[in-house]
Amino acid sequence: MSALEQQLPLTRRMLLGGLGGACCAGITGTAQARIRPADMKPLVTPGHRPSDKDEQGLWQQYGRVEEEISGSNLLVEDPALTAYLGQIAERTGGPAARDLRVYLARIPEFNAFMAPTGFMVVFSGLLLRMRDEAQLSGVIAHEGGHFLRRHQIRAWRDTKRKTAALTFLAMGAGVGGAASGVYAGDLVRLAHLGTILSLFSYSRELEAEADAMGLRQLAEAGYDPAAMAETWQQLIEETQASAAMRNKRWKRGYSLLATHPAPEERMVDLRASAREVTSPRTAERGRDRYLAAIAAHRKGWLDDQVKLNDPGASLYLIRNLAHDGWNGLLRYHEGEVWRLRGQKGDSALAGQSYAAAVTLPEAPPEAWRAHGQQLLREGRSGEGKAALQRYLSLAPNAPDAAMVRHALGQ
Amino acid sequence: MKGAALILLSAGALALGGCVQTKQRADLEFAPPQGDYSLMVMRPDVTVGSLTAGGMVEPRADWTEQARANLLRALAEQQSGRGGKTQILERREGVSGVDAETVANLERLHNAVGSSIALHKYMGATLPTKRRQGLDWTLGEDAVKFGRATGMDYALFLHAEDSFASSGRAALQVIGLAGCIIGFCAPVSGGGQSAYASLVDLRTGEVVWFNVLQTSSQLPGVRFGDIRSPEGAAQMVERLLGRMKAGRNVRERQ
Repeated sequence: MSALEQQLPLTRRMLLGGLGGACCAGITGTAQARIRPADMKPLVTPGHRPSDKDEQGLWQQYGRVEEEISGSNLLVEDPALTAYLGQIAERTGGPAARDLRVYLARIPEFNAFMAPTGFMVVFSGLLLRMRDEAQLSGVIAHEGGHFLRRHQIRAWRDTKRKTAALTFLAMGAGVGGAASGVYAGDLVRLAHLGTILSLFSYSRELEAEADAMGLRQLAEAGYDPAAMAETWQQLIEETQASAAMRNKRWKRGYSLLATHPAPEERMVDLRASAREVTSPRTAERGRDRYLAAIAAHRKGWLDDQVKLNDPGASLYLIRNLAHDGWNGLLRYHEGEVWRLRGQKGDSALAGQSYAAAVTLPEAPPEAWRAHGQQLLREGRSGEGKAALQRYLSLAPNAPDAAMVRHALGQ
Repeated sequence: MKGAALILLSAGALALGGCVQTKQRADLEFAPPQGDYSLMVMRPDVTVGSLTAGGMVEPRADWTEQARANLLRALAEQQSGRGGKTQILERREGVSGVDAETVANLERLHNAVGSSIALHKYMGATLPTKRRQGLDWTLGEDAVKFGRATGMDYALFLHAEDSFASSGRAALQVIGLAGCIIGFCAPVSGGGQSAYASLVDLRTGEVVWFNVLQTSSQLPGVRFGDIRSPEGAAQMVERLLGRMKAGRNVRERQ
């Protein structure tokens, strides 16, 4: 959903997909002066409705988009969790508190986007990576910041103005050039590039604004503002871990064609800004509340992540979550990462993880199955069978229960 | 002065042009519905916008609403002359026999299939497996179930886009044309229509007939339709649905 993927031609698709969907996932970019949270004032009032023709058109289009999204079968059906996300949006939404809506889509990616009409879509991959409510609230406050600062319509107007100027310049150069006999094609191409670069630079400026605005809202709601920089720290480290395991060099990224500021700069700016808004009343992390809210889904989302076959990223994020303590669920999925990678020695590593998983609380029944199969492979038939028995007793109706029973000779 | 303008205009019309195009595709065995049939016209997907100087379409809520209402009226008018029993959906709710979610799902399914037809039958990405076979696409069992639940024989899907040159865009068109005098002709599109209609036989689930309409003009002030007006909407409906041709096998037997 990033504007980078659909650079030109500038069409309505760009309005819908690129500019409208201001997302939070980082794509590298260039330097931008830091925007101070204190300078960010919301530009909307409660119950904001568009009054200009262009914004009305944008809202109508997004009304249709929301109609489709709200009926999508990708949405996570959990009214309690959806309500929980809505409460966070309300708490960090400032004047837009009652105008924000959150949809949770089951997509194993770190991403979220805000629509100009006040609804945002958060991906399950983002929730999986968050360690507590403060981190999640940071992302939601950032997205809400796009709405508070009216970014989509401002970006659209900026695009409209710059492309119009360019088109007139090109036409003028053509007609003028024909009249005077001077070829102005190179000049036009240069101006074209300048326009594109300026559009992307504006997009990065708006992202920096959303960071500052979001940080201000986060602190006002009483959350620890350091949480936002942590999210970026985690994202950077995960990207590095992913590249390292694939034996690829992590692209440090210096690109003029980026919609978002570079993650490191963002992190540095966010740290500096966080210090400005930190006070004794900004200490809330809400870890237990957060874990309880996502408890029913963590296993499914970990499965989704492991199946992406990105072992570096998966191991990083599992271990990052384990900073708050290992449990059977995290250990089991650690084993699954090794098993799926399947290189020399991985099987033994997987076996160690499974063996550890079954000794810990929150071990899923599948951990017993994996542990049992691993033991059978190692020739420890008695222990292996006992573990498989344990799997059957924990999950008697599992889809593969009959097969496991058969293998046990029952 | 008038004469010069006319020469410029006709020269422009020859060199640059603007046009109205429709192209029908049908199942080889398709025979246009006649007599005692029932047809459900699904909620039309309409967008009308203003073409900015830079060439982007800026959606306009008021024009879109106006055009949607006009198209619904024009569809009712056009169908009333055909003899069948027609139900036109203005929204997804309130269809007897199915809930709004089922209607939405059929629309989404058709959206995917319709895009595929547009890509492979109209935009040149021809599939070797579907060459010379007329229209060979289906919505499958879901459409048949939908037909059974609603008691309808056919479903018609309509998608329409229209755009109008903003004042900045019109100025560009004028400069582009004026440039012809000194040898720099730069025709600029002033917006236009892009629409399709798709007929699904709910007894088999197959897309039996498809038509695409495109209009464009590079001459400032010249247009080939405007669905913001009742006449323009009727014209679009007529262009899309007016002369439904039978499939090739049926035509050859006649």
